[in-house]
Amino acid sequence: MFTIIKNRVIQLVVVLFILSLFTFTLMKMAPGDPVLTILNADEMVVTEEDQAELRSKLGFDQPLYVQYGKWMFNLMQFDLGKSYMSGKPVIEELLTRIPITAELTFFAMTIMLCITVPLGVWSAKYVNKWPDQFSRILALVGASIPNFWLGLILIYLFAFKLSILPSSGIGSYSQIILPAFTLGFTFAVVYARLLRAGLLQSLSEDYIYAARARGVKEWRILWLHAFRAAVLPVLTIFGLSLGSFLGGAVVVEILFSWPGLGSLAVDAIFNRDYPVIQGYVLLTGIFVVITNLVVDLSYYVIDPRMKRKEEALGR
Amino acid sequence: MRNYKNILVGMLCLVLVFIAGCSTTQNSSEKQEDKEKNVNMIFSFKAADLDPHTGFIPIRSGLTETLLKLDEKSNIEGWLAEKWETADNQKWVFDIRNDVKFQDGKKLDAESVKQSLERSIEANESLGDSLKIKSMEADGQTLTINTTEPYPALPSELVNPYTSIVNMDAAKKEGEEAFKNNPIGTGPFKVKEFKANQFVEVEKNANYWAGEPKLDSAMIKFNEDPNVRALALQSKEADVVYNLPAESLDAIKKDSKLSVESIPGLRAHFVLYNSQSENVKDLKIRQALDLLLDRKSVVKDIMQGNGLEANGPFNSTLPFGLDEEVSEMNVDKAKSLITQAGYKENAEGLMEKDGKPLTLELVTYKARPELPLIAQLLQSDASKAGIKIEIKTVENADTHLAENKDWDLATYSNNTSPRGDGSYFFNTAFTETGALNVGKINIPELNTLIEKLNRTTDLDERTKLTQDAAKVINKEVAHSYAVYPNIIIGMNKRIVNWEPTAEEYYILTHNMDVK
Repeated sequence: MFTIIKNRVIQLVVVLFILSLFTFTLMKMAPGDPVLTILNADEMVVTEEDQAELRSKLGFDQPLYVQYGKWMFNLMQFDLGKSYMSGKPVIEELLTRIPITAELTFFAMTIMLCITVPLGVWSAKYVNKWPDQFSRILALVGASIPNFWLGLILIYLFAFKLSILPSSGIGSYSQIILPAFTLGFTFAVVYARLLRAGLLQSLSEDYIYAARARGVKEWRILWLHAFRAAVLPVLTIFGLSLGSFLGGAVVVEILFSWPGLGSLAVDAIFNRDYPVIQGYVLLTGIFVVITNLVVDLSYYVIDPRMKRKEEALGR
Repeated sequence: MRNYKNILVGMLCLVLVFIAGCSTTQNSSEKQEDKEKNVNMIFSFKAADLDPHTGFIPIRSGLTETLLKLDEKSNIEGWLAEKWETADNQKWVFDIRNDVKFQDGKKLDAESVKQSLERSIEANESLGDSLKIKSMEADGQTLTINTTEPYPALPSELVNPYTSIVNMDAAKKEGEEAFKNNPIGTGPFKVKEFKANQFVEVEKNANYWAGEPKLDSAMIKFNEDPNVRALALQSKEADVVYNLPAESLDAIKKDSKLSVESIPGLRAHFVLYNSQSENVKDLKIRQALDLLLDRKSVVKDIMQGNGLEANGPFNSTLPFGLDEEVSEMNVDKAKSLITQAGYKENAEGLMEKDGKPLTLELVTYKARPELPLIAQLLQSDASKAGIKIEIKTVENADTHLAENKDWDLATYSNNTSPRGDGSYFFNTAFTETGALNVGKINIPELNTLIEKLNRTTDLDERTKLTQDAAKVINKEVAHSYAVYPNIIIGMNKRIVNWEPTAEEYYILTHNMDVK
């Protein structure tokens, strides 16, 4: 187990390095820089001289590798630089927004679990009956609906037509429901299908028949015997798709005016606020790698065979 | 079977929990209204802080004020400065109002104005260059500003919200962070609570110098999605909403409690030509393209009536706008102009010279959704006159146009008279060093007029020079102005004594009231 953690940490460093190199190059290759935005050229007379001056002040006139090197050097000292737009340290910008996105993701996952588990089990129990068909349609709908559209429809229904939920904003629990549901739903219905498939497979295993023959109650078989085995593939996919979860959060945050990491990233990209983009990408990278590690480690808890296998290999 | 029931009961519980969670907060604002007057607004741009020297939200929310302001006709008038005078356009004397107090009770005097202006120049990257202040002297209520050169545009620049006057003593005492979250200005409202990028809640400043504000408080939220803003207005969650999407207007107009205000804005959508391009270098070609721009259709079909056909760089409803006729689309005339430029119609109906058909590259971008549509309209109308236009959509138009030379024309949009004056647009879009002069336009006659305008104080004369310069631009077809888009604001009819203004600076006022 410790070998895994050790390997993963090395992997993390390599992944982050490549990731940062890629984003840096891509960002610099994309046309535009933040100079005109910083100078407010939309409202005030700005000369080419002013632009050149600011460009050299920000170091944009230096070769790419020098710019990257400088950024790397600062990163080694845990300094992510300052946002061009707000002038605040990037770390501070990220830290103030992490709790907001974390809150949204937490509730979205809760909603997701509340839908995935019952729906998956239900459709596995009634294979090809109407509950299964129902969940199949839901999955199709969920996988096809874009986040922003679902969000707008929910706002239309619950804020405008029924007037029981606020359309946007943050602070009270009533304001969490719509964005969390928007984010959680599309993932939930797809995961429910995965869970169903896993359950069907494990339900046809010999040990289930054996359990049935021993007279174990049906709910015990389903929840304690089959479910445990079925949840592994779902967990794997979930770990892999955490990135898209954060990506989905970008859209949802803007729609519901949640000033989280996603909306920070979008603003930074539009304004070419390079240090913030880099910081965001790094943070997301770390997050995804760590989650995958946690998912891997959780196999050991859920599936004792993994541990035994390792012991057998003498690690 | 029991499992199935369990799951069903579980799901039902979940739904119940959801509904229970929703019920509490919704009606609180309605209850409050019995006791106090409150409005809810949604702005389309958010604010990370309330520093009035780097953002517009403080002036829009009625927190701060500037020395001078624009009246409803976009003329410059006194605000915190009662009057101002200059003999040589270099030494300016401003009389600061004697009856104004900051929200913390400190009296406004010339010294505090001076400190505030110094802070604004320090905090804002480009403000220093646009104010050109060399030195300031404060004496009681008299502020003397010396500019680095004769600078008649100074009053117009002092309308800029970035020059908002705040109490810097309080800022020094409370610290930078507190200042950025709660600037002490002179406006009719003061900050009650501010959450970065979410909302600012303001309450009235009972000692406001121009009279007690009618409203007790206001909640201003930020949301960047136009559809959500429209829905919030329809659900009566918001009383005033800025920048509604055109497709939501019908539904809003049907609601008897809501109204839509569509007022002339200060922006212009236009086609700009690349003076370095061989294809459009010939004036006749530019004139032909100008005749192929169907302004009527732009207003009617693309803007859905929420705009005004353009006849020059500045909205024709402004004092310095042109009163000339809007040029009408005329394919035949355009064709004859192209022929005069040496082109002949070939067998395929395309205009060609030396065996090469007239093919133009038109650059457009999506940030303003109407621009690609204007590009398509021009493309289809130009084909009627035998001009082939290839549309290229880029993400960042400013950079693409500045860094490439092979484009012929582009659709563009600019706030052409941000502070009730045309000199900003001339200096930024037509002079050699202007940051937005991506087409490298250089018209000697225009340059002379701009220089003269930069040196002229007299308002009537400035208006005349501005109009003359606009006429030169039209004569040379440096740009083809298409439309002045309206600003579309949705409001609940319970709002009274308030009208939105074109410059979008003064939104929350002390006169705004609710029924």
